[in-house]
Amino acid sequence: MALSCCSAVHELRGHADFVFALAGNPNVGKSSMFNTLTGTGAVTANYPGKTVEINVASTRLAELTIGLVDLPGTYALGAVSEDQWVARQGILDGGPDVVIAILDATNLARNLYMLLQLQDMGLPVVAALNLVDEARKKGIETDVARLSMLLGVPVIPTVATRGEGLETLLSAAVSAARALRADGGARPGSRARYGQDIEQVVAEIAHRAQPLVGVAVPAVTARGLALLLLENDQQFGELVRAAAGGPELLARVGQAAERIKAAHGEEAALRLIRERHGLAGSIADEVQVRGSGRELLSQRLWRLTTSPVTGIPILLLTLAATFAFLFVVGNLLSQLFGMAWQAGVSPVLQWVIHAVAGNGVVARILTWGPDAGIQAALAVGIPYVLTFYFLLAFLEDSGYLNSVAFLTDRLMHKFGLHGRSIIPLVAGAGCNVPAIIGTRVLTTMRERVIASTLIVLVPCSARTAVIVGALASLVGWQWGVAVFLLSGLLILASGAGLNALMPGQSSGLVMEMFPFRMPSLRTITIKTWFRFKDFIFFALPIVLAGSLVLGTLYETGWIWKLTGPLAPVMEGWLGLPAVAGLTLIFAVLRKELALQLLVTLALVRYGPRATNLLSFMAPPQLFVYALVNTIYIPCIATIAALGRELGWKRATAIMVFTVVLALAVGGGARFVLHAVGLG
Amino acid sequence: MATPIVEEYLEAIYKLQGAGKALGTTELGKELKVSAASASEMTDRLVQRGLAEKMKDTGIRLTRKGQRAALELIRKHRLSERFLVDVLGMDWKDVHDEACRLEHAISPEVESRLDKLLGSPATCPHGHPIPDRQGRTSEQPARRLSGLRRNETGVIAKIAEEQRSLLEYLATLGMMPGSDVTVQQVAPFDGPLLVQVRGATYALGREVAEKIWVREK
Repeated sequence: MALSCCSAVHELRGHADFVFALAGNPNVGKSSMFNTLTGTGAVTANYPGKTVEINVASTRLAELTIGLVDLPGTYALGAVSEDQWVARQGILDGGPDVVIAILDATNLARNLYMLLQLQDMGLPVVAALNLVDEARKKGIETDVARLSMLLGVPVIPTVATRGEGLETLLSAAVSAARALRADGGARPGSRARYGQDIEQVVAEIAHRAQPLVGVAVPAVTARGLALLLLENDQQFGELVRAAAGGPELLARVGQAAERIKAAHGEEAALRLIRERHGLAGSIADEVQVRGSGRELLSQRLWRLTTSPVTGIPILLLTLAATFAFLFVVGNLLSQLFGMAWQAGVSPVLQWVIHAVAGNGVVARILTWGPDAGIQAALAVGIPYVLTFYFLLAFLEDSGYLNSVAFLTDRLMHKFGLHGRSIIPLVAGAGCNVPAIIGTRVLTTMRERVIASTLIVLVPCSARTAVIVGALASLVGWQWGVAVFLLSGLLILASGAGLNALMPGQSSGLVMEMFPFRMPSLRTITIKTWFRFKDFIFFALPIVLAGSLVLGTLYETGWIWKLTGPLAPVMEGWLGLPAVAGLTLIFAVLRKELALQLLVTLALVRYGPRATNLLSFMAPPQLFVYALVNTIYIPCIATIAALGRELGWKRATAIMVFTVVLALAVGGGARFVLHAVGLG
Repeated sequence: MATPIVEEYLEAIYKLQGAGKALGTTELGKELKVSAASASEMTDRLVQRGLAEKMKDTGIRLTRKGQRAALELIRKHRLSERFLVDVLGMDWKDVHDEACRLEHAISPEVESRLDKLLGSPATCPHGHPIPDRQGRTSEQPARRLSGLRRNETGVIAKIAEEQRSLLEYLATLGMMPGSDVTVQQVAPFDGPLLVQVRGATYALGREVAEKIWVREK
């Protein structure tokens, strides 16, 4: 359930005694900390039009209710990228009592950069020095007391995955927040600490900017505003420009920036970044002792997975294993769920429906909805979604996804994609639904649209069942292989085509590579559950509604009325019996249903001999049938996932594209087969 | 007198030569946004006029005469940028394209007066040195990061400045002029590079690595 960030944070404010924001670089264990602290009650919130999310939840410390806002992991708080924008906006809108800055003890200098930036904005900060266990293994020891003194903030060592130090951390944050409230909410004045000439300029601008603070711009300190303006921050620049006296202030800032540039030979913005890096580096050097760290298993694994010689075989193995796991475990769950439903829930549901609606058409329609509909979801989408979410969380948390992105980036670029998209694409062969949701690992909407379109063209297990059941087993395995090959070609061609046609270009890859980590089962489970819950709430109503509509068409017999309008396309263009066309429509519910329905409807129309499909369809017809079934709109659960992830406009465009493509390829195949004498 | 097109070629070759691998017409064409065929034809004309030469090992490069002409043009370009920023008050981000147009129209007379008016500046607004009238420059040869091999190290000299957001993003990660950088791994098929900067390792796409110029330590 995506809420708007503002309302989610405000609601939190309403019932919590204190609100803390969790800020930090990507992969410092921020989410682990959030999940360990809050359990499973988190709410995910979006800013309109943004894909990066903020998680909001509350926890208890003694008698206090504490609201936690989990910001996206970023390297800084500028406004240059979407994640940074969302992180910053989350802080500005949420007005947390304290920002908890989570630092990675194994890479302190880079992590301190963001903490300094938070302090520069005048935000009250408490630091968590996380991953101290991993740092120790690498031979890095940190003088926590000294770090705390140099930064002027409390620093608490933590191991988030095991929950160590988290209570102390919250207590420290509560004390800091209480002290602030006792002071009447006065923000701590961030200390001067950069080069003297720069601090002089900053102080001068801060003095002039003072009247605007809290009036024209969100609550940052005057010094914070001065630094932001010198850094040429666009958002704050615009706010100031619109304020009374703003243009004059900006002119001053411009002159000051020129002075800095003249003195240092580079832009003021870059100079400030450099100063901050310098400070972060010198603090880190002062508080940390680096022993001679031996090469850890994690580092060796990482070298093996990124080196082309060993990395590519490992990647192929992983993809195969992912697919196998999805197939085996997903299948198992699918059967289990299906059996449980039929044995436990279905009879009860049937009984209730018949008790309420009697035995007429209405009852039978209702059976289609809740009973057949949910059973379809249990058999097709849900088992694979659950399995894949689990796998994806594991791959993400272990850090392996980065190695994959590194190795395949070049190849995927040809399709306008990023190296990270290979995992969802392969997962699509199990089930399209989780694969589409898995495109969240991609950063731009363009990449997500291209990847989702390609995923939709990947034959999932249900379509594979039709290809095998209707074609390979009846006509010959070569025909089945041909459908798969043709799908593969279509995917390659669509990727290249979309890349050429869609505006924009694939974004340049700049990605931090993390050492491998053993993912914590708890974190993975919580992550899986979250995503799963989100999906269920969204997809189930759509599946139910779709089933009811199809049920109504079928039970009222209106479906046969569709035969006429469908005839030109089905009989004229594709050369299929009209009854086959009807089943293609029904297969939107779930693709393997096409086959069952084909048999069922054929029995109604052609009599008992029709159990053998070959009795009324020739091999080329079955080929065209399987092909069209494979390519056109995946299924109702996929449609739900597309709508959820990309918005209905893009989802509709993808659906139209697949229908057109299916008809074009299906018709084309018919005529080619005919021309070569097979039809 | 060289035409603007000839001048653009000289400037482009100057920028690209010595970037690690031999400069070919394909890469030159890409830089100037023309086909490899027209780049090849134009290169031949430059060779005829004694401005450039084609060598087996280093590819296309400028002769001493061509080098001189290119530096003269770069001087005019960077002086124009200074003028646009310092006198006309334009934003440093926007002046590159303007200067590209102005540089071809500046006579030696205007050039020397511009230099005087601006107080003989040493660098352009982006911080690149302005060559002197004799075409001497303090610029050391820099190579693109993408041209480095595995385990090679260098110091970032500059980052091609067109895209401000990328520039700032890289800077917050510590990738800015003066930072040490080590290439740890290069992905196959001209893929990304794994580079180490300030204790952290990043995967950089080819197109990003091409914008980062490094110098030997």
